[in-house]
Amino acid sequence: MTEIKNSNWKLRKGQIIAAKQMTAAEKWFDIKLEDGDLDHEPGQFVQVELYGVGEAPISVCSSPTKRGSFELTVRSAGRLTKHMQGLGKGDWLGIRGPFGKPFPVKLMTGNDLLFVAGGLGIAPLRSLINYVIDNRREFGKVDILLGCKTPTDMLFGDEIKGWQKRLDVEFRCTVDRSDPDWKGNVGLITSLIPGVTITPEKTFAVVVGPPIMYKYVIAELLKKSLPERQIILSLERHMKCGMGKCGHCQIDHPKNYYCCKDGPTFTYEEVKDSKKL
Amino acid sequence: MKITKTPVKSPAKAPKAAAKPKVAFFDFACCEGCQLQVANIGEALLDILGAIDVVEFREVMSEKYDKDYDVVIIEGSITDHHAEERLKKIRARAKVLIAYGACAAIGGVNGMKNSFKLDEIRQYVYGKDYKLFDSTPTRAIHQVVKVDYTINGCPIYPPELVEVLKHALRGLPYTVPDNPVCSECKLNENVCMYERGVACLGPWTKAGCNSWCVNNGNICYGCRGEVNHPAKNAAKDVIAKYNLKPELIKNKFDMYNKCKEGGK
Amino acid sequence: MKSWPVSGSEVLPFLIFTAFLRPPRRAGEASRPLIEYNIWAVSVIIKTEATSVNYHILRKDKLDGFIKSLARKMKVCAPVAKGHNNFAFEEVSSAGEIALSYIPTILPPKKYFMPQREKMLDFDLTGDQPKDAANLEAPGMAIFGVHTCDLAGIQCLNMVFSEKPRDYNYILRKEKVLIIGLECNAYCDGHASCALVGNHYPNGGYDLFFTDLGDRFIIHVNTQKGEELVEGMGLAKANPADMSALDAVREGKKKAFQNEIGTELKDLPAVFAKGTDSKVWKEVGDRCVSCGNCTNVCPTCYCFDMADTINLDMKTGFRTRTWDSCQFGTFATVAGGENFRSERSERQRHRLYRKFKYPIDKFYRSFCTGCGRCTRTCMAKISLKDTLKALVAENK
Repeated sequence: MTEIKNSNWKLRKGQIIAAKQMTAAEKWFDIKLEDGDLDHEPGQFVQVELYGVGEAPISVCSSPTKRGSFELTVRSAGRLTKHMQGLGKGDWLGIRGPFGKPFPVKLMTGNDLLFVAGGLGIAPLRSLINYVIDNRREFGKVDILLGCKTPTDMLFGDEIKGWQKRLDVEFRCTVDRSDPDWKGNVGLITSLIPGVTITPEKTFAVVVGPPIMYKYVIAELLKKSLPERQIILSLERHMKCGMGKCGHCQIDHPKNYYCCKDGPTFTYEEVKDSKKL
Repeated sequence: MKITKTPVKSPAKAPKAAAKPKVAFFDFACCEGCQLQVANIGEALLDILGAIDVVEFREVMSEKYDKDYDVVIIEGSITDHHAEERLKKIRARAKVLIAYGACAAIGGVNGMKNSFKLDEIRQYVYGKDYKLFDSTPTRAIHQVVKVDYTINGCPIYPPELVEVLKHALRGLPYTVPDNPVCSECKLNENVCMYERGVACLGPWTKAGCNSWCVNNGNICYGCRGEVNHPAKNAAKDVIAKYNLKPELIKNKFDMYNKCKEGGK
Repeated sequence: MKSWPVSGSEVLPFLIFTAFLRPPRRAGEASRPLIEYNIWAVSVIIKTEATSVNYHILRKDKLDGFIKSLARKMKVCAPVAKGHNNFAFEEVSSAGEIALSYIPTILPPKKYFMPQREKMLDFDLTGDQPKDAANLEAPGMAIFGVHTCDLAGIQCLNMVFSEKPRDYNYILRKEKVLIIGLECNAYCDGHASCALVGNHYPNGGYDLFFTDLGDRFIIHVNTQKGEELVEGMGLAKANPADMSALDAVREGKKKAFQNEIGTELKDLPAVFAKGTDSKVWKEVGDRCVSCGNCTNVCPTCYCFDMADTINLDMKTGFRTRTWDSCQFGTFATVAGGENFRSERSERQRHRLYRKFKYPIDKFYRSFCTGCGRCTRTCMAKISLKDTLKALVAENK
């Protein structure tokens, strides 16, 4: 028997240093790796292993500008993520990654940015938003549009209050269904887009949300004459290996994209010929 | 695989070694053959017995336990009103309920009763005084009470019992594969039964048994139940390709799968 | 092969010498510049040297000795008859067990490179912090009698798993396997389409390659490892008559093996690109059982699933990799429930795109090896050749 020291299946060891229930179904974790920083870029994901339970791909929701630990927000959906809800401070996880192509931060430098997040899409986008805020002077106008099902589904509420107060960021939010305490917009996220001033030649829109959202949001952005290559998406597939091999995350597109290696971030121009976004 | 005998302590919500989970076996209409499979687990049985506390097991013990159960394992199907009441009482005392074996999981061979009008079959079995004998159409356990885990098969496949138990003890969901038996049969490189000129239910039956029967020279009898989205059109092609009669396949399926019409 | 003279003083006498080795001059043919004779002579020398050094002969009655001798060194696997015209690669210890004339085995030899179920990681949670190790058990072995289609299949997998991030389980296993190919002098059956993809002839991928010459095998030695093996067994070198016999076999195959679908491989990616919404997929999808047989038996299907198993001590366990199939209903579902390939037609289309479109774009080669296994094994009799023909016809 030989030990494969450099096996890409070996796991980095991460310990949960803080955890917080954010909504009924979503929990936030702050994780410290024993071998140093995760060294990720906004938009990348990690494979989280619960020993004996399994592994699942999760977007990193903290900015690389935050050092010493990284954060994940996990919705209870599959086998692993359900089990993760029971974890807390001190528990150990296995981590592989970071994987995937990050958001094209360098290309965005000097441009206006429009962030559109639907539901849990705010998690990967938060990594980029906080990165941009931490490097605010590198970018032009910054607009953030957020859509949630109901006010209680809103993630990162405290942090969002901070974004709302900032003078260098324009934040707008809408909910599909209101509740008595809600004073903001009610309606689909697409309803917020006409209100944003877009300079098509120097704006990047970064859109992250459920597959159904993409179609409508992209249509609105194209109406504003935003070029297809300046619309950035993050697609969801079940990446099982993260190494472009297992085949699960391949996108039905003439170009043979693997979501884990060629994505998860794509320009709309790259993936518009996909069977499904 | 190295098997060590340290006390059970799982990473999440570990049942403490001092208070091992109370596990009970109950049987309804069945041959109890699945309970006997426990004895066939082999070496792992000792580890299982180290991890749980068996409080009811008619096949090997008769003591009566009167508290709540952590896990109950139900064998057999529900064929009369008395059984239905008894099952509901057990469910009320059980934290986790496992439907165990084809009779419990899908009705099994007892379901063949449902091919006939109830009174006709009662009369056939019990004679002219048939009304004195309580009887209902056969139902699988999930058609009567909530089931948390299912272990399919006639008999159950012992390695699957071990896996489901480990899942149940850790509170993890266990997913029965929804692929046809063929998917495992190919991995075992068996000569396809159809190539041998024999009709096999592998293409429509749920995997998870590691194609146990075919590995041993038998056909698949469909004891694990039909896959969720069987390809109806394809079935016609398969039947035509091998010059089989559609009734032959249907009859074979009826042996274990007659409770499917029972709903739920 | 010996190294060629390189310095000027060595080259000059060589050129003068070769200039006298003239090819027979036909009547009326003008005399040619000397350099042409040089080139001709060098080409003859290279050809002769390649043929005499790299080919050996094994008499058929000595095959048993060959296998037994090999089996003393390492585990030997070869095609074995399983009845009902089914074959499988299994461990053998003598030539008598081997089916020399066989149609493609139920599973291709990929099972030796990427086992059906493979442990990728052991873990241990007894300490304060989890520990894990990637342990591999891969003893040396030889696979005898691998057809050219399956050699091509292994080459495809080599490309996939050597691509970064590398799969060391695969790579380390591969390095332990000695591959002995066996030529098909005729078609195995009507389901094969090896001529379409050019795999009816050997294209490397082996240490030794056997071609049946009636009473003897001629063995092409392709690697140092192969050379050491045949040298060690004292196999005679092939003589010119053996070489002509091999040429005759190859020449005969030119006629016997013809493009099975009447369309060139290079034209298929364009056909596929145009055919995403073809009704062919709907027809095939309507017939598919989703049993995954076609992908399991495919020499180049490598999609897999990962799963954890915990031991009963609830403290130690392992992660396994299992062959998965894009034909299964849940293959492309995500945790939230969205299924990106819910229709059988989409899944069948995807399978063939992964043979004739994506890999040709990416690796410049077809990932269909022409073995015909998917057609042979299909419960619903879906034929690859028919599907391709229908797709081409629709595009005409």
